[in-house]
This record gives sequence, C-alpha cells and structure tokens, in this order.
Amino acid sequence: MKYKFEIICLLLIVGLFALTQIVGNQFYFFIGFVILQYMVMAIAWNVLGGYGGYVNFGSAGFLATGAYTAVALINFLDVGLVEQMIAGGIIAGLLGLATGYLTLRLRGVYFAIATLALAIILETIVAHWDYVGGAAGTSILPKRKPELLGELIVDRKEGIFGNYKEFLFFLMGTVAIICVWISRYIENSKLGRGLNAIKDSEEAAECMGVPTMRLKLIATAISGGMMGVAGAPLASYLTFIDPLSAFNLEYAINAIAMPMIGGTVSWAGPVIGALLLGTAQQVSSLWIQSELNLLIVGVVLVVFVIIAPEGIIGWFRKSRKGSAR
Amino acid sequence: MTRNLTNRVRVWLVAGLFAASVVLSGSFATTAQAQNKDPIKIGFSMALTGALAGGGQQSLLAMQIWAEDINKKGGLIGRPVELVFYDDQTNPKNVPGIYSKLIDIDKVDLIVSGYGTNLIAPAMPIAIEREMVFMGLFGMDNNSKWKYEKYFQILPAGPNPAVGFSQYWFEAVESLKPKTIAVIAADAEFAQNLKKGAVTNAEKMGLEIVYEQNYNPKTADFTPILRAANAKKPDVIYIASYPNGSAGLVRALAEVGTDAKAVGGGMVGLQFSGLMAGLGPMLNGISNYDFFVPEPTMDLYPGAGDLIARYQAKVKADSLKVDALGYYLVPWSYAYVDILGQAVNAVGSLDQDAIAAYIAKTKFTTVVGDVKFGPNGEWDQSRTLVVQYQDIKNNDLSQFAQPGTRKILLPGDIKTGDLQTFGSLRK
Repeated sequence: MKYKFEIICLLLIVGLFALTQIVGNQFYFFIGFVILQYMVMAIAWNVLGGYGGYVNFGSAGFLATGAYTAVALINFLDVGLVEQMIAGGIIAGLLGLATGYLTLRLRGVYFAIATLALAIILETIVAHWDYVGGAAGTSILPKRKPELLGELIVDRKEGIFGNYKEFLFFLMGTVAIICVWISRYIENSKLGRGLNAIKDSEEAAECMGVPTMRLKLIATAISGGMMGVAGAPLASYLTFIDPLSAFNLEYAINAIAMPMIGGTVSWAGPVIGALLLGTAQQVSSLWIQSELNLLIVGVVLVVFVIIAPEGIIGWFRKSRKGSAR
Repeated sequence: MTRNLTNRVRVWLVAGLFAASVVLSGSFATTAQAQNKDPIKIGFSMALTGALAGGGQQSLLAMQIWAEDINKKGGLIGRPVELVFYDDQTNPKNVPGIYSKLIDIDKVDLIVSGYGTNLIAPAMPIAIEREMVFMGLFGMDNNSKWKYEKYFQILPAGPNPAVGFSQYWFEAVESLKPKTIAVIAADAEFAQNLKKGAVTNAEKMGLEIVYEQNYNPKTADFTPILRAANAKKPDVIYIASYPNGSAGLVRALAEVGTDAKAVGGGMVGLQFSGLMAGLGPMLNGISNYDFFVPEPTMDLYPGAGDLIARYQAKVKADSLKVDALGYYLVPWSYAYVDILGQAVNAVGSLDQDAIAAYIAKTKFTTVVGDVKFGPNGEWDQSRTLVVQYQDIKNNDLSQFAQPGTRKILLPGDIKTGDLQTFGSLRK
C-alpha cells in the first residue's frame, strides 16, 4: 500500500486523541508531554546531527527561542497555543537558517562550540529582556477556556479536552508524529541522501555536484524549526518560565543522547531513544530525590558507546546481517 | 540457531538495561513511611539539592518533627499524618510535574509549598486549577498576580511583603543619616521583588539612588560590581541576593572593601550555618534581615527555642548532614504545616473551601507566636528582624549559637544592640 505509513501516522493521532478521552489521570499526560517533547527534540537534532554529521550542542537555545517567542506573543497579543507553536517554529527555523549561514563553514568540534555559544548568547539576551520576565522569569496561567476556530478546546464539561494537560499532550503528540513523518521523508529524499554524502565526505559530495551549503541550510532551518515548535508550549506546560528552565543543559544532553542511543542512521532511532530514555528519566526523576535521572543518561550513553556505537537500530541491523550470513 | 539465540540475548540485554535503570530509580524512592492505615497525606516538593538545599533540608526535618509531634497526639481528625515529598533540585522546571504526581498518583489530601519564592511560583497555577489550599514557605509576594483566596504563606513580611521586608532595614540605617544608596540585586523573582520594595523605601526616605545593578544568579566574581558601586560613593548599599550571590558578595566586600556606612538588607543564605561558619569574620558589620536569632529578647516566639533545641539534638544524634543550628527556617517550617493541621482539626474535615475560610479568619497560636493572615494570604503585620553581625572572631560555628554575634537592631521592643558603621566593625 502506497500510503501505509501516512495511514499509521493518522491512526496514531486518532489513538492519542482517544487516550485523552479515556485516561482520566492528568499525571500521565504530564509525563507523556515531556517524553514526546524530547522525541521531537531528538528527531530535530538527528536531521542535522544524524543525517548530516553536524553535532549541535545548542539545542536548548532553539527550544528556548520557541518558548520565549510564545511568552512574547502571550504578553503582546494573548494568542492561543497553536499560534504560539507556529510562530515559535518559524522564528526558531529562521534562527537556524541564520546560524547555519554563519557557522556551517565550521566543521566538527568548531561547529559544536559555535552552537553552544549561540545558546549562551541567547540566554544572556533573554536574561536581560524584562518584557519576557528577564532572569527572574515569569508566570503564565493558560487561558481557562481556550477556543480554536470558534470551538471550545478545554473545558471540564463542554470542551474537546477535559483539561489543559490533555490538550498539551495531544498537541505535542501530533507534532511528534508529524516530525517523524518529516524525518522519514527527509531520510528517503534527495535531501537525506545529500546530507548522508556530506557526512561521509563533504569534499567528495561537493565534487559529485551535491549542493552542500544549500542542503545544510535547509537542514539547520528544519531542525531549528522543529525544536522551536517543541519549545513553544513549554511556558504553558510549566506555567512558569525562566532562563534556567528554558536553557537547561538537560535539553541539549538529551537531544544528543536519545538519537545516539536509538541510532542516528534512521528516523526510528531518535524515536526509540526518546521513548526508552525519556521514560526511564521521567520515572526516575519523579520517584527519587536526586539527579539520578541524568546519571541514567550518562550510564546508558557510556554503555551504548562501548557496546553499540551505532545505537539500538545499528546494533540490530548488524546482528541481522550477521545471522543472514 | 546460535545467531538467533545471540539476537534474543541482545534483545533481553537492552530490555534488561532499561528495566534495571527504572527499578534502580524505584529503589531510591523516598516517600515518607506510611504509619497506620488511611493516613492524611501532605504532599510537597522541597529543595533538597541545588542552591537552596541549605534551607530545604532544615525545613524538611522541621516538618518531620511536626509530623512526629502531631502523630503522637493522635494525628489530624483521628488519622495519622504522612508526609510525601520529592526533591525539586531547586529547579522550577521540576515543580509542576512533582505536584501533578502528588495529586494524581500519590493522591495527597493536602499540599504545601517547597522553600522559596521561585519554587512556589510554578506550583501556584496547579493549586489554583485543583482549587486546593496552598500553604507557602517563605514566598515573596507570590499571590499578587493570582489573588488566590486559598493561598497563605508564612514569611512574616506583612501585608505588602515587598515593601515590608526591607522597611526595618531602612529605619535602622536612618540613624546614619544617609543621603545616597546603591542597590544590587540578583535577577531572580524573590530578589527583584525585594529590590522593588527597597527602592520604594529608599524613595520614601528621600535617598538618591546613585547605583542600581542586577546581576545574573550564575555570577561568580562580584568584585567588578562592588567596585562600580564604590565608585558612586553611596552612603549605604542595599543587597538583595540568593545564597550563592550572598557568599560571593561577602567575599568581594572582604577583598575590595567599601566606604558605605551600612551594607546588607536582603541577603538570603547568610543565616545558613554552613555559610556563617564558612564566612566567619567576613560577616562583621553586615546588617541583614533575619527571623530568629539566639538573643535573650527572642521570647516573642515561646515555642521556637524548644523546637530548635530538639532539632539540633536530632541533627547531632542522627549525624544528619543538614544545617546544624536551624535558626532560620525550622520554626517557620514547623509553623506553616502546624497552621494547616490546626485548621483541619478545627474544621473536622478535608474540605478545602472550609479549611481556607478557617485559615483566613483565624489568629493561630504557633511556635512563631500569633499568626494572622491578611490580603493575598500574607501576614497582616511585618515581623522581620534587622540584625547586625558583630564581634565574630573566627569560623567556629558554635559562636553563632550564642547571643551577641547577631545583634537585633529592630523591632525596638526586642532590640539588643545599636547599628554601628560597617567600617568600624571591619578592623
């Protein structure tokens, strides 16, 4: 069937919606949102890092760009969540494009340092921008009864969703599924093959006629845009946002660790990595009283780097090849 | 066959690795011990690691002492009390998830806040959404935006906390006849609220603000800020800082010095035993806010002395790695859960509306004296002390448990010393 994958994606979205109608406990949507957000971050990172071989350490900067775009829009126009996510994606995508233009002539560790520097610069700007709360942060109380196209979205009795967390979970789940689709499309398209060629040897790819700069710019814009979309609902989820939360190093670490653990060669790698690591982290961080969740990331990452440097996907592909011989 | 077997082993290895990590996490779970069946669960997040851990750890121990006490008396409305808590790591990002888990998974009956303004702020919308009574521990003006009628907090800064918090400090320094002031504040919610209040008080006194600077909470070296402030020759310097910044500024003062006649005001953390012992004589001359000090006139809080003695004995007996003295937060942490407990007993149920209505109208007798809440759940009057660090000889912590190292300057009725100029105490 030609559109089998698309139909599965649509069914998954319907499944997410059904979950919000069946499960009554808000907590599951709370942690589900975080895992899905990490999934989007991991997929976004993999577009540039996994396919193109450009390691981005500034993921938190792009996520925070989305988050603070949303805060600025709430303060300025009091717009709804969907509009915030669209705007967050556009601004972070443009930022990705600009960053790409400025830094893609750098390679390897120099590119990684440049992206890290970008996040620090953005954090400094936000910390001194009082309109969005500055370094002190700002509280956001989401609208009690938000509407979209005249429909009441959230209301205990009459809304499509019973509470705001269900709405956030559904939106982030839908975004994650769309990102999976985009990532799979890129992987099988000219763009993906071109990025793979760049990863193997940029010079050779250039000689073969691959428009390396253009492909890298497209990848940075898509990657940044996805991260911005993931970050936009952060303020509504936390109901309080400050630079410490938005630019948290945890986002950058997880955005790298999840694809590394799942495998960077395929769209499925970040998804598997985010599901496994995200769940383990959420369970640990809410059942313990220390930073053991980051320790888990560290330990699992070290173990995978040693026993499965190509991640879970790579490991099983290798095993399958071996057993076929 | 052998290959298939190897593949299966690999699948189980991966699954086992993740399962082990989750189980490992579970084994570290530290919710409070259930005592008897059907307890009343009180849930909260607490800063047990991170920048505010010094305060969070002593608060938790005080709350556990309260739970022991109340359970010995038969619990609340005949049911034992169980505390359910998680470490928020002094990170606001962790707070919403914790409160959601407390309410939806742990099914707590009552919630109270963790320690500090920045960690109360992200929990407020959840309490409001669930329409639950929310007791705050040292929140600075957290409810001014929400005006939530079921929020009450224990910081004794009066009905207008931002202004009331620094009011006595400005009254104290008035005797030095200052004309100019420098204001240095951390870029954090608590410190910024404090700064706004300080600026209001300074303007009320007719002081000219010659230097005003916010600093990033991650700042490590404060000497440039202090040198810049000194260049404007202020008569007094008001500082609103969090623990890391407070320690950094005290060290910078020791290195750079200042001609200002009074320095301090809103420096959080100088009350923690670890910082007091670590900074030692560098604290001499600083005038700062406080809530409880071991001065002979502190009989305003009749139960606090006994509670602190029990706390200190427990810390010593169990070799706990928490604040050894516990003056700063122990009485208040005990009191804010005690008020909630008193209200539950008086109402005779866990009806959140009835509990909130009772707390709003009642004057409570607690270990920190009588407590009555006013608008926005703030105290109806300020009871913030202004103390000056004097005669600190070395880094021995025991000297801070004796009278004389933190002289009370105001309120006047419990005064134990006079304000001396900063420079005169630095020799």
